Amino acid sequence: MQSLCWTTRFLSRALRNGFATLVEPHVKPRPRFVSVVCGFPKDFLESKYKLGKFGDDAWFKTQTPNADVIGVADGVGGWRSYGIDPGEFSSFLMKTCERLVHCSGFNPQRPVNLLTYSYCELLEQKKPILGSSTACVLVLHRETSTLYTANIGDSGFIVVRKGEIVHRSEEQQHYFNTPFQLSLPPPGHGHNVLSDSPESADTLSFPVKEGDVILVATDGVFDNVPVKILLDVLKEIEGENDPVKLQMTANTIALMARSLSFDSEFMSPFAINARRNNINATGGKPDDITVVLATIVA
Amino acid sequence: MNEPLSVSTSSSSDLTTTSSSDYAEVFDLHECATTGVDVDNYFSDVLIDQYAQDVVDFSSQYGSDYSISYTALNITGRPCKYPDYGDFPETFAMRTYGDWWESAPSRLPEIRPQNNPKITAQDFIVVRFEQFVIPEKIILFETYNPGALVRIWSHDITEKWILLWEDEPHNYGPKSRKFSPPLKKMKLPTKVIRLEFNHSCLDYFTEIDGITLIGRKCNVFSQSDFLSRCRRRNRKGPILRKLESLRFRPCYKENHQDYLRDFLVNDLEKFIRESALLHDDGEKENTQLGLRDMPCEILLKIFSYLDMKSLFRMGLVCKQMYEITNHPLLYSEINLKPYWHLSSSELLRTLANRCTLLKKLDLSWCGLYGTISPTEFKKFIQQRGDNLTHLRLNSCKFLNASCMETVGIVCDNLKELSLRNYSNETNILSFSCLANLRNLERLDLFRTYIETELLLTMLENNPKLKHLNLAFCGIGVNMDEIASHISKYNRELVSIDMWKSHSLSSVGLQALSVCSHLEEVDFGWCLREEALPGESLKCLLRGCPNLKKLFLAAIRGITDRDLENIANLCPQLEQLDLMGVLGISTEKCYEILVKCKKLKLLDLSFCDHIDEAQIANWREQFPVSIKRSCVPSDFFI
Repeated sequence: MQSLCWTTRFLSRALRNGFATLVEPHVKPRPRFVSVVCGFPKDFLESKYKLGKFGDDAWFKTQTPNADVIGVADGVGGWRSYGIDPGEFSSFLMKTCERLVHCSGFNPQRPVNLLTYSYCELLEQKKPILGSSTACVLVLHRETSTLYTANIGDSGFIVVRKGEIVHRSEEQQHYFNTPFQLSLPPPGHGHNVLSDSPESADTLSFPVKEGDVILVATDGVFDNVPVKILLDVLKEIEGENDPVKLQMTANTIALMARSLSFDSEFMSPFAINARRNNINATGGKPDDITVVLATIVA
Repeated sequence: MNEPLSVSTSSSSDLTTTSSSDYAEVFDLHECATTGVDVDNYFSDVLIDQYAQDVVDFSSQYGSDYSISYTALNITGRPCKYPDYGDFPETFAMRTYGDWWESAPSRLPEIRPQNNPKITAQDFIVVRFEQFVIPEKIILFETYNPGALVRIWSHDITEKWILLWEDEPHNYGPKSRKFSPPLKKMKLPTKVIRLEFNHSCLDYFTEIDGITLIGRKCNVFSQSDFLSRCRRRNRKGPILRKLESLRFRPCYKENHQDYLRDFLVNDLEKFIRESALLHDDGEKENTQLGLRDMPCEILLKIFSYLDMKSLFRMGLVCKQMYEITNHPLLYSEINLKPYWHLSSSELLRTLANRCTLLKKLDLSWCGLYGTISPTEFKKFIQQRGDNLTHLRLNSCKFLNASCMETVGIVCDNLKELSLRNYSNETNILSFSCLANLRNLERLDLFRTYIETELLLTMLENNPKLKHLNLAFCGIGVNMDEIASHISKYNRELVSIDMWKSHSLSSVGLQALSVCSHLEEVDFGWCLREEALPGESLKCLLRGCPNLKKLFLAAIRGITDRDLENIANLCPQLEQLDLMGVLGISTEKCYEILVKCKKLKLLDLSFCDHIDEAQIANWREQFPVSIKRSCVPSDFFI
């Protein structure tokens, strides 16, 4: 009962959070995002609610006159055993990306620069921020109606148009359940920690059209919800510019991911992948869940 | 109207022998603005507030140029942290605080300190706003260690700097502050504000989140437009207006020339008496000895204690005084840094005539907005530069490639050269002729981008080098190579600052260990790639037993073993910075406090594993200032 109470409280908070950040209308008819956010931390009791975070996941969305930007990052939980809060790394990464978007040097056509610079920014902090994280950043360049993306690790995005997935990010893994990651290990641990440079990010750029649906999410979603189901939900909201309806869909996806992740019988994408790697597993993978859902309106 | 503050009362013509037509024009505009009739319809009663749009210039910042943490640009835009209080990277922080830098071995004596106003400024930042306004209020959002602001200047539309506010620095304690000092009323619109800081009272770095300029909106879109309109409206000079106000109506019917002669012969005396232009001081015979009866040598001695402004004023007294105040001995050391707002090509020309024995020159902070032309500076150096031993040109906006070339060729006796803040102009400035210098003892290249090759040559040519500042020298300089060169050629080095030089590794550290005279090293934010610098640091500490200042900020690989070495090998240590080092324990810090008897400053900020209660104990037990900076705990969570 207790946990149910927590869940509903968080759901309503998440809802409010989503409504609060509606995109303001623009004078000039150029493509822009209508975007909403929903998500859950894996463990409600252990994580404190803070805007821009769900457990170890972090997200941001922001806009300039020239571009709309969305990003998600998933802090690698393994650092907890070293006494390091994994959420700090991902949250810092996203916050810095958001600040960089508003700096004069921001180039909407090079989202990978956002990741590179915010990674460099980590090294400039007085407070040492250690850990590692995956990250995915999407920039809609308004002038050219083109989406520029950079993705490192197993967070990702899918773009749905006319009931089909037209673009999706590629998962980058070293080996099973070990994604590419930006990392800053504690001094002395450098050699036995996986660390990928921001330049190894997978970058894509493609034109988008009015009505396209874009889902950006962390592995908590992609590991638990089969793509087919995601597609079924997403194709319902093509061309939708009502943020309330979008929010409902985002909530659906997040809730679906959360329930599937705790379903021990379900053959989740994660379990299927595990089997491919000769690991016998069933059920979902409990994880922090972040869903950023956007449609493109002109 | 407020009484104008001391610094701004004298116009620029104070420092120059002749007042040019330019000044007369500016004066006109001020008059015209103060009478208020002509210009008033430019200004509406609408108050607007603006956040800073742009940073024009600054003297120092804590962060690197390529970063967005602790850098000057963070002062622009809406404040994002106020009213929170803490050490936030989203704010603007400067390089120093307190008097720690002044008590380090590398401290720099001022040239002609009597020039300094009572409240000296250590740092400045110039910010630009979007629209011209008549300033009514300025709000500074200080989110960490407030109280360093000492002066606010405004650069008005006629390109004159007006002092809006001035006060002593204070320490307001650990709470954030929204500071809006009472401003002097201003009649002319401005969009450029300069803030000056003095950190001497502060416990730690001050941090500024943003600045708001509130003022009456005015319908001025461009400066030239405003100036030309003012000129069209008011062409009369001060004398003509004075005559007008006295209702003096000359009659022009006759021949103009004759009339003037007539006036000079007959009416001038009456005019002067009536208009009280001459003070009737009584013509009593003064039997007491006056200044004028002193021998020239004594007067020279007396005048040598005067600041430059008073010296120039003294020269206005009479011919004799003028001649003495022109004596080259009074101009062997020139420091225009406190007079940056009055500096001009003209002043430089005037000084060039007087300073035939020039030895030390400080033109730091001068020449923003083209008040000094590069040609004039070049001419000055060509005329007077050959005996120069000390030259400080920090943040001078007039320097160009040929200026640098002239300095390199003419000033070959330089012992001290200070070239701070030339980071953006790399492609414009070429320092290559500095390779001519052979006698340097101090070289300061703080935040100046210089090529490794040139620096190596300079090190090789100047074996007497004692102080070297390479802080923020960019990613281009290979510090390991520099260090190994120093170990070969510059063994007399006393202080070296390599703050934020990422290319320094333990190889460089080891090389520096042969410089046994080293008393001050700043390796803050270096050794980034190095996991554990242990052995090389030990080597350095063993090689330099006189170390007084050791800054190891943010070298994350420092461990307890290193602290043990510091405790055992640095008996002279006075300042130790371990900011942001995680791998050190409470016990080893205690060991340092016990063994380094002369320690005065210990920075343990962001060292998370140190016991807070113990620090409180230490503060009572040892005469050491222990710094513990932090961000509020819920900042990241």
